[in-house]
Amino acid sequence: MALFFSTVYLVIRLDIMWAAFGASALCLLILPIIMTRDPFKAPPWEMALILVIPVFLHISSAWDPAEGAPMWWDDLTAIAFSLAFATVGFLLTVELQLYTDVRMNGSFALFFVFMFTVAAAGFWKVFEYVGGLVTGDPTIGDNADVMIFFVWTFVGGALMGVIYDLYVKALPESRKRALGFTRPQEVTE
Amino acid sequence: MKKRLKIISRVMQLSMLGVAIAGPLTGNMTWLLAALFSLFISEVPSILRRDFRMVLPIGLNFWLVLALFLHVVGGYSGFYDNVAGWDHLTHAMTSSLMAALGFIVVVSVDKYMDSIRLPPAFLAVFIVMFTMAIGVSWELMEYAVDVLTGSHLQYSLDDTMIDLFFDSFAGLAVAAAGSYYLRTKSPDHFIEALNIEGATASLTDMRKKLG
Repeated sequence: MALFFSTVYLVIRLDIMWAAFGASALCLLILPIIMTRDPFKAPPWEMALILVIPVFLHISSAWDPAEGAPMWWDDLTAIAFSLAFATVGFLLTVELQLYTDVRMNGSFALFFVFMFTVAAAGFWKVFEYVGGLVTGDPTIGDNADVMIFFVWTFVGGALMGVIYDLYVKALPESRKRALGFTRPQEVTE
Repeated sequence: MKKRLKIISRVMQLSMLGVAIAGPLTGNMTWLLAALFSLFISEVPSILRRDFRMVLPIGLNFWLVLALFLHVVGGYSGFYDNVAGWDHLTHAMTSSLMAALGFIVVVSVDKYMDSIRLPPAFLAVFIVMFTMAIGVSWELMEYAVDVLTGSHLQYSLDDTMIDLFFDSFAGLAVAAAGSYYLRTKSPDHFIEALNIEGATASLTDMRKKLG
């Protein structure tokens, strides 16, 4: 719900990229509910939480971007961003597995989550850069800022790839069934 | 056509060798290592063919040597500093090369690993993301080298961003070409042309000999 209202807020503010992020995250969260027509078959709440954190961080810093933001603020948003994008990558993996012909095994899924996070960060910065050129209001700082951002997503992506691999193994069977959630390699026709 | 590509590849390798020799003679050592390393990489397909009986498509082989050639010879001639957009050209070439290699890997994975199945549409997305991820890792590597050695591989944010822009473009191009290829010719045809089966067979041979 929080994600829904923040996305609406971002759409109203014409914050195109974050609105797009919110919208795709929402789609991934809602898709299982629609596909199974069961309101309780949503992805785990932890993931929704991770997805909403960078959006909140973004909204709260959007009020006053230049003043009063502490030094570590950028790092914090970068980490939150990488965790969220790894989560999007993971949900994408699971849902591709559940609803399409795509089949992956554990290690391929791990690699895909990592790769997805790094690539998403790259596309994100390119879009931000192009957006800055179009509006004449560059927002992404200098080269070093972008590189630090990439370092965080690189680390975060690798970490989350491993964590999600362990997470699906550790998820109790009952909860897994309740959520309609399976390990990539356990999905059969 | 094939012969001509082969001859051009050889000529380009020779000129890289030329850079490797001319470097020490003129006291310009910067490109010596790059030239030697690139020469080695340009020989990797032949090593694969001899030891693993794996055949890379001749066009891809040509593309590989061309990218290395432009990097080494252009770098030695100072094109990176003097010719506008030179690094974007080489970037687009190397990233399309990485995309093509990634394409080969995922098509083979799709075919040989039973637990993995990747439809063409997903393959295309995968290639685009893969190329971008390689591009970002590459920029990170450049940044790391700059920070550690004080060199200037990265000029400015604009350059980095245009590099990444070209990377995504190259990824899209290879993804489009790849899915076109898979639609017109079957993946089996592609796999057979690469002789990956022969390669895996000789790998297991080697493992038997070692074990």
